[in-house]
Amino acid sequence: MIKHILVVDDSPIARRMLIKSLNALGSYEITEARDGQEGIEKFKTASPDVTFLDLTMPVLDGYEALIKIKEINTKAIVIVVTADIQPKSIGTVMGNGAFSVIKKPAPLETVKNILEKAENKLKDMQG
Amino acid sequence: MNTDKNEIFTQDQKDVLQEIMNIAFGNATAELSEIIDIYVVLSVPDIKTINSENLDLYVNNLIDLKKNTKIIEQKFFGEYNGAGLLIFPDINNDEIVTLLDYSDTDSIDYLEQVPVNEILIEIGNILIGACIGKITDLLDTYVTYSPPDIFSSDTSNKFCFSCNTDKDKTGLVMKTTFTFNGKNIEGLLLLLASNDSFDWLKKALDKFMESYL
Repeated sequence: MIKHILVVDDSPIARRMLIKSLNALGSYEITEARDGQEGIEKFKTASPDVTFLDLTMPVLDGYEALIKIKEINTKAIVIVVTADIQPKSIGTVMGNGAFSVIKKPAPLETVKNILEKAENKLKDMQG
Repeated sequence: MNTDKNEIFTQDQKDVLQEIMNIAFGNATAELSEIIDIYVVLSVPDIKTINSENLDLYVNNLIDLKKNTKIIEQKFFGEYNGAGLLIFPDINNDEIVTLLDYSDTDSIDYLEQVPVNEILIEIGNILIGACIGKITDLLDTYVTYSPPDIFSSDTSNKFCFSCNTDKDKTGLVMKTTFTFNGKNIEGLLLLLASNDSFDWLKKALDKFMESYL
């Protein structure tokens, strides 16, 4: 069961938009990070069940952060939330182990659907 | 340089603008990649309000204008009005022609028929149009466009950045830089909103926040 969610995005507005949807869908413990580097640090300390990760960020972008998160935990469920919807960007992050990619701004229904899929994946992994 | 006049836009409004610019440019690059099969590496957008008289200085501080600098401009009109500027500070004609795939054409003849400026205008038209289109979609408005125009540093047809905003007034500049992956091509996209858009823009940003936050 998803209890803890990490939201990594440099835009405070993007974080608020996503967290509003998450709060509408359930009672989750939510941790925020403002760039990829902070995202990795928070991932290590918080061990979230699901991570929402932006791509275009300062300090460390989401591409690098994804690789490092997957090095820390190969089973990490990382959902990329991005405005960069070029096929190559999507292909790259999926190739690097992203669970899914959703396009900004993500409507509530999209967040709901992806959380359900993540929940099922988590159940499968927990056996 | 007098750049920020924080009283014009609140921090929340600027944050929303930055995210909207991020979404809009991502949308624009996706459209471009469908047409010319190029991958665009994006940067984090920046938002600034700048006095008209300082706009040329602002751009000169951003980029080193060279003889081969090309600027594609497309103006837009409506409740939200201003201009989109796509700037290639150091353009290499040979690199530009490789952006288009001529594999299905008699490439030599075709290349001779398509001037580099036409390719740049088309790229500008796609990027600026898709970007502004997404912003107007998110902010629930409609604009009309002027045809895109191109300016070169090495001709008498030089570009005046400050001419896009009313004298002694403040313009809103949304900036993002980008690189065409695998090509030695870097660029800068500036969206200038004129002062008379501000009242509408602030209301539209507040409405956007109310609906999403």
